[in-house]
This record gives sequence, C-alpha cells and structure tokens, in this order.
Amino acid sequence: MSDAIDHSGGPPRDLPEDELLAAEYALGVVAGAEREKLARRVAVERGFAAMVAAWEERLAPWAGELDEAAPPPQVWERIAASLPQQPAERAGLWESLAFWRVFALAGVLAAACLAVVIYLDAARLGGEPLVAAIEAGGQRSFVATVDVKRGTIAVLPAAFTGDATRVPELWLIPPGGKPLPVGLVSASKPIVIAIPPGLIAQTASGATLAVSLEPPGGSPTGAPTGPVIGAGKLTAL
Amino acid sequence: MDLEANRDLLVAALGRVPAGDRAALQTVYRLTSAKLFGVVLRILDERSEAEDVLQEVYLTVWRKAGDFDATRASPMTWLIAIARNRAIDRLRAGRITRRMEPIEAASEIADAAASAERVLADSETAARLGGCLDALAAHERTALRGAFFDGNTYEELARRMAVPLGTMKSWIRRAMIKLKACLEPKDP
Repeated sequence: MSDAIDHSGGPPRDLPEDELLAAEYALGVVAGAEREKLARRVAVERGFAAMVAAWEERLAPWAGELDEAAPPPQVWERIAASLPQQPAERAGLWESLAFWRVFALAGVLAAACLAVVIYLDAARLGGEPLVAAIEAGGQRSFVATVDVKRGTIAVLPAAFTGDATRVPELWLIPPGGKPLPVGLVSASKPIVIAIPPGLIAQTASGATLAVSLEPPGGSPTGAPTGPVIGAGKLTAL
Repeated sequence: MDLEANRDLLVAALGRVPAGDRAALQTVYRLTSAKLFGVVLRILDERSEAEDVLQEVYLTVWRKAGDFDATRASPMTWLIAIARNRAIDRLRAGRITRRMEPIEAASEIADAAASAERVLADSETAARLGGCLDALAAHERTALRGAFFDGNTYEELARRMAVPLGTMKSWIRRAMIKLKACLEPKDP
C-alpha cells in the first residue's frame, strides 16, 4: 500500500496483504472479478475465510445503528413457498406403522434386505450407493443408505426402541471433523432425508454416520447433546 | 427488539434449521428479519429489490445454517454478513442505482447523531467499535461508512469524496489497520 497520502500522522503497523484483502472483502469495497476471486478464496481457503469472518465480526456491531424495517408479510410467504417439502417419505406400504412394527421384529436381517432393495433401486438409477450400519456394542440400531445421485439418505430402524421423551437424530461426521446435523429419523419407520446441500460433498465413503438421542425437534445447539446410540462408517456397497 | 437478549433463542433455532425444520427458520426470520431488512434496504434503497434479496438471504440461511458455529461467531454477525454480501452482490449486478451523492468528510451530522444511538441501542462490543471508529480521522470514518452502509466500491467512494482512487484505497486500508489495532490492542 502507498503511504504517500496520510493525514493521520503516526504510521500504524502494517497488516499482511491477505488480512487487508479479507478486510476489503468483508467491507465490500472490491467489485467485479476481484470480488469473485476473493469469494472463491473464502469458499476454499479455511484461513482466509477465518480472516474474513473475523472482519465481519469486528464490523457487524456497526449495523446496530441502522433502523429496523419490518418487511411485508409476503416476503416470508415467498420464502416458505421456496423451501423444499418436508423430508420425503415413501408412500403406501412404507407409511404403514403396523407394517414397520412387524418388520422391526425381523431386525437386522430385514434391514439388510431392505438395504438391498434400496441398493437395487439406486443401482437402477445409476447412482453409487453408500451404506452404513449404525451400531454400538454389537447392537445395530439403524441402517442408512445414501443415494448419491438423488442426494438422499434413507434411514431404516433395525433394532431400535424409541424413547418417549427423546428423538433419534442423524449426524454426519467427516473424517477428522465434528458432527454435522443431517436430520431427525424415526424408531418406527424408514425416513428418507434430503441431504442438506452443504453436506453433500462430505457425504462420502469414509465419513461416519451417527445417531444420538435429542429433545423433540432435534438438538437445540446444532451439536449432539444426548447419548450417541450408535455410529458406522459409510462404505460403497 | 433486543437482539442480544434473543441470542440464545436464535442460536437454538439456527441449530435446528439444518435438520430441515421450517418452524426453526421461521423463528430465525421472526427474530432477525427487521434488522436484516434494514441493512439490505439501506444498501439497495429500493423496496422490491430489497425484498427479493431478503428472500435470498433466508434461503441462504436455510441451506447454510449447518456452517454456522455458535462457538466461533455471533449469530447476528453471521446473518448480517450474509445480508450485506447478498445485497452487495445484487448492487454489483447493476440494476440498481447506487448511492452516489457527494459526501464530505467534514459533514458528519448523521455520524454524530448516530454515536448516541450506538451507546443506547447496543452492547459493549458496539460501544467499543464506536469508540474505535470515533478515533479514526474523519475522512477515514466517512469512507468506511460509505462502504459499510451504502455498499460503495473503492471507485464509487473515490468519486463521492472527490479523491483519486489510490488515495481512497490508502484511506480505507489505513482505517482498517487502525481499527484492528484499536479493537485488539494486544495482538502482536
């Protein structure tokens, strides 16, 4: 940077160029190709993203000066209409609780059969399915099948008995990472969850799926708060 | 609405969004949309564009809430950054008239009025930022305001303040260096 024009006296200590670029990006003063380039760095470079986040944190309180402005109600209506439908569940027989109660009795074997059904289903569509047996201490509680092509995870209860006060929640744990919430599953029937777009890239062979027990509505913190009832690595079938 | 008091509620709701909980997103919207609309409206200065961008902001929250880490960032900071970035991207896409009326470092009437509000309306952090902004040279603070609130680029700020582009870059960079040194004095 040029120090040629400085009316403030006293040279402040300098900052590394990346830190200044992060500040410029957070402030929003760069445009065009330069802004796009910095946006890409934020997406792929952890260190740079952290610098940008730190600048956002420094500047954000300034927004407290701005008057609030209530948006018209149709904005929320448009948002709600744009959201994907609730996690898609299979219709017909799959919806029948009685069927699933009987089915659950067959336990692991039945779940394995169903995994094959889903595998064949996915194979027919040309996807490369991944499976994980979610278990702890030799007890298999759920079987999960990832349909990479559709971006869904089917989670089937194997030998898991529900809990009146808590619900099972599925987590994705990338290798060396922390658990990321995927969605709520059910003790009594298969649930097909659309993988949140931010997690699709990480839903890969080698990642771990785990289920914890959480308050109704799911973990209030975004991290598991209750006991983990099982975990298993995703592997290609 | 006191957003700090609602922080815990907001963090909990954001934590439920990645599981596909629409009610949780609605809670986030209820707690924050008036503030974020204020931010977006200030940058875009056009209601229908601002409404579109606000919709994009919450759809981004819906998709990216899993990236938010409450141990590392404040939820309002995270949301404000999304709102500013979306609004700035829309501004840069070029269909909107930017705020381009000339501004002078000397005319800081709005700034002075805001200082009082700052202390009243906000937390300790905001007061600290206010103090550090007040410690900047007037021209630096004015340039930063144009960038932060109006979404101006270096080029636009240089024109609004009638200085060469290089001067404006130097002002902003120097202001950011001073701001960091003031906010985090113990940093090496």
